[in-house]
Amino acid sequence: YQIVNGKIEPTKILLLLNMVTEEELLNDQFYEEIREDVMNECKNFGNILSIKIPRPTENKELSNVGKIYIEYETTDQSMIAYKALAGRKFNERTVVTAYYSEMQYLADDI
Amino acid sequence: NMVQEPRGRTTRWGDPNVKVNFPGLPTNLPARLSKDEIDSYIINLRIEEISQKLRTGNVIPPERARSPSPEPVYGADGKRINTREYRYRKKLEDERHKLIEEGQRRFKDFKPPADYKKSNKHVE
Repeated sequence: YQIVNGKIEPTKILLLLNMVTEEELLNDQFYEEIREDVMNECKNFGNILSIKIPRPTENKELSNVGKIYIEYETTDQSMIAYKALAGRKFNERTVVTAYYSEMQYLADDI
Repeated sequence: NMVQEPRGRTTRWGDPNVKVNFPGLPTNLPARLSKDEIDSYIINLRIEEISQKLRTGNVIPPERARSPSPEPVYGADGKRINTREYRYRKKLEDERHKLIEEGQRRFKDFKPPADYKKSNKHVE
């Protein structure tokens, strides 16, 4: 993987990967719990403006990579979370962090 | 080391002081990766994570993440077939199978893990 040497360009949108399974997202109770758990942890690093946890729907098939998007008020805040959450365990899975384009996030292109 | 939530439920987050590291698989991604690059990377990482659990036998999650036990099913020898170990191993194998299918469907250069056999195909 070439991924190691790429440049890191922070944005306000934190992308959390490898977090959840399709099965969990389909369960309403689990979905609410996941949202709550993620909010509770992520607010420790800054002010959250919005959060998006895509769920599988009839017309939209999701990849099995379990994505969660967090919009922070500032880039400094998302940078702290980006570092702090990488490698943490969630649901017995290893959390991977990335930044996402602010324009795409706001346009709901996720 | 589980953190209690106000409502008595435990969080899905693990200990903040414990960080996992897979050799050669960073958990901080750089900018300007396409969706496909990200998906392909995470599929590979999760497959590696599952393979490691299956190899080391670390398949049973801690209490919080467990689902209620189903009715026992016994084999001809009178031993229980659907043990906790068996169920969670099967769950991981099924997840890995789904990931491999997605990898093969979406990415031309995708390679299934060495210990994965096609004949492993699960029966619904």
